[in-house]
Amino acid sequence: MRFSVRWFVVIASLALVATSCTGDEEGNGGTTSPGASPEPVTITVVDYYGEATPISEEVIAAFEGEYPWITVKYEAGDWDSMREKFTVRVTSGDSPDVATMDMTWIPTFASEAIFADLSELSGGELNGAPITDEYSEGAVEAMTFDDHYVTMMFDFDAYALYYRADQFEDKGIDVPTNWDELSAAAEQLAEDTNGDGKNDKYMFEVYGNDCFHWCQFLFQAGGSILNEEHTAAAFDSEAGLTALEYHKSFLDNGSGVYWGDAEGEPIRGIKDERIGMFLDGPYYMGLLKDGAPDQSGMWKVAPAPYSVEPGSYLGGTGLSIPVNAPNPEEAWLFVQYMLRLEQQIGVYTLAGAAPATEAALGSPELTQEEEYFGGQAPFPIFADTMAIATHFPYVEQWDPIDTIIGTMVESVMLGESAPQEALTDAAAKVNEELAG
Amino acid sequence: MRASAIPTKTVRRRPLKGRWRRYVAGYVLIAPALLAAGLFLFVPIVLSGYWSLTEYSGLGEPEWVGLTNYIELFGNDLFLKALLNTFLFVLIGMGIGPVLGFLSALLLNSTVRFRGFFRAAYFVPVMTSLVVVATIWKILLQQQGVINQALSFFGLPGHAWLSDPSTALPAVVATSIWQGFGFETVVFLAALQGIPRELYDAARVDGASYWQQVRHITLPAMRPTIMFVYIIGIIGSFQVYDQVFVMTEGGPINSTRTLVFDLVDRFQQLELGEASAVAYVLLAILAFLSYVQIFVFERERG
Repeated sequence: MRFSVRWFVVIASLALVATSCTGDEEGNGGTTSPGASPEPVTITVVDYYGEATPISEEVIAAFEGEYPWITVKYEAGDWDSMREKFTVRVTSGDSPDVATMDMTWIPTFASEAIFADLSELSGGELNGAPITDEYSEGAVEAMTFDDHYVTMMFDFDAYALYYRADQFEDKGIDVPTNWDELSAAAEQLAEDTNGDGKNDKYMFEVYGNDCFHWCQFLFQAGGSILNEEHTAAAFDSEAGLTALEYHKSFLDNGSGVYWGDAEGEPIRGIKDERIGMFLDGPYYMGLLKDGAPDQSGMWKVAPAPYSVEPGSYLGGTGLSIPVNAPNPEEAWLFVQYMLRLEQQIGVYTLAGAAPATEAALGSPELTQEEEYFGGQAPFPIFADTMAIATHFPYVEQWDPIDTIIGTMVESVMLGESAPQEALTDAAAKVNEELAG
Repeated sequence: MRASAIPTKTVRRRPLKGRWRRYVAGYVLIAPALLAAGLFLFVPIVLSGYWSLTEYSGLGEPEWVGLTNYIELFGNDLFLKALLNTFLFVLIGMGIGPVLGFLSALLLNSTVRFRGFFRAAYFVPVMTSLVVVATIWKILLQQQGVINQALSFFGLPGHAWLSDPSTALPAVVATSIWQGFGFETVVFLAALQGIPRELYDAARVDGASYWQQVRHITLPAMRPTIMFVYIIGIIGSFQVYDQVFVMTEGGPINSTRTLVFDLVDRFQQLELGEASAVAYVLLAILAFLSYVQIFVFERERG
């Protein structure tokens, strides 16, 4: 038979297509039957910590040593794209077994029943102890959706005041404890170094387009985002107006610098000293050390000043197991392992974030004095803040509500809307969303 | 009847089996591409169309809602803002970009020195990733960026280009024009070089000025190229996303929120039905505009 080049190409193409269609043949989906030797399984773990992840190779190796039938396939993600990628994977049936979740994503995902019921998987216990004993009351509430646990908090975020202690000392400024003192401190701290009549250094950062930074002022003024039944907006109150006007006042009197998405990361403003005071979470301790090492010894942390009562939003990272995870039992073993004290301390020492469990919050490693913060032990301040922090309302419409509030804050900070008008308009839109 | 004296050659048809053997190799070779197009293009288009008529989060089964998503979209402030912003982006971008490209092509087609350098310089931004270009321009346009420093050098006040709702969209458009007009330059230049020189010689003999030559020779000859540039450009401009995401994330106050940005946002909120509806509205707009352009062009030509 005459062999033609054409047929050679056809056969080669078919072979190429056949090999490219070969799927992953890793064994998966094994389950541990009670009383039987566990079948080898591979669990997929995805996180967004980046290079400084607490889910390090050493931690994974130690876990695999303790659970030899489980292999961990670790996938490094980043916060910016994590939500999108997680959504695609879960909706396409390719769920990971464990994924880090920003706590503000919980309402959207949990309302679509994307997470496995951790109350059922855990039996109410974490590493042999009741979950309610391992976390603060606020954290337990934050992990609960529709009366069951949907995530286990891995790190937490609540805001405190970072300030340039060296400038405070030079200018004789006392650490503020309430709003009036904060305003006065901001005005004393800010400097006009180029003589154009406008402050350009050591200003108070006014992060102008999200709920995180404004909502803490709302809570501190005694207000709330939604009513108790979560059926209507409550931020268009006297407390909301006070909070909005107070937040804007820093820009009006020139002691504040507006910081939106266009300005990039605030660490840029910290490095070039435009920012001398700001409110943010414990993860910023690590960002300061990495991003502004030359400012070591110049910064300190204090509880956030308040008007009516101390308040902050409660956020952070949770470890969740998707409802269609291939190996939920093994995933739960991994989650528990990561919530042991040693790994929780690693959240601070490796990632510079704040661990969420009560045991870690009180550990000596986290209460040490730090050279970067001028010999202060900053972490206990954040730990105290966690006790008074409030998580965002767990309603399925939280994403659009968050956007409405962020846009409202932005329009007031940029002078496009008057505070009362913006509040009324935003509340109407939120009520429309809640009405469905 | 007498048989014809001229012998006729009988054409023997190849047997069916032989013809099939001749074509099967071709079908096998194009099968992977057809399969890929089907799986990654046609199937998603049809599925998305179905989802646009349902309420669907990606989990569970889609719930049929008919045209509800489309009706709600056109009553939604965010979507309408995105629609308006996208039209403005296209209007400004396609109003300036191709004109700049045409003028630079005219320049490069003349006897200017260092033509090769300019050609390369205009095209380098086109070859650069849009994300990289957007990141660089975001840094340039920041409050303490190079643009404001240059203005300050000349005694002019700086501006928060990307934080001001009135300048954020024009800044994003300017970035896109800077990145893309090199492509139009190269396309127009190729078309210019295809116009016979004799036409210009004859026009010069008749006393036509340079701009008269452009108006009566160059533009008519380049009509198919101009149509191509506008159709491709408008389709691309309507799908703007990368530079918006990098530079402004749709802000400030949704002043740079575009249709694709709105689509992605709805997808992230697990509103796949609404996201698909946005995609189909975009498809309808592009199909209509492409049809109008081709219709106008064919009418002028005919």
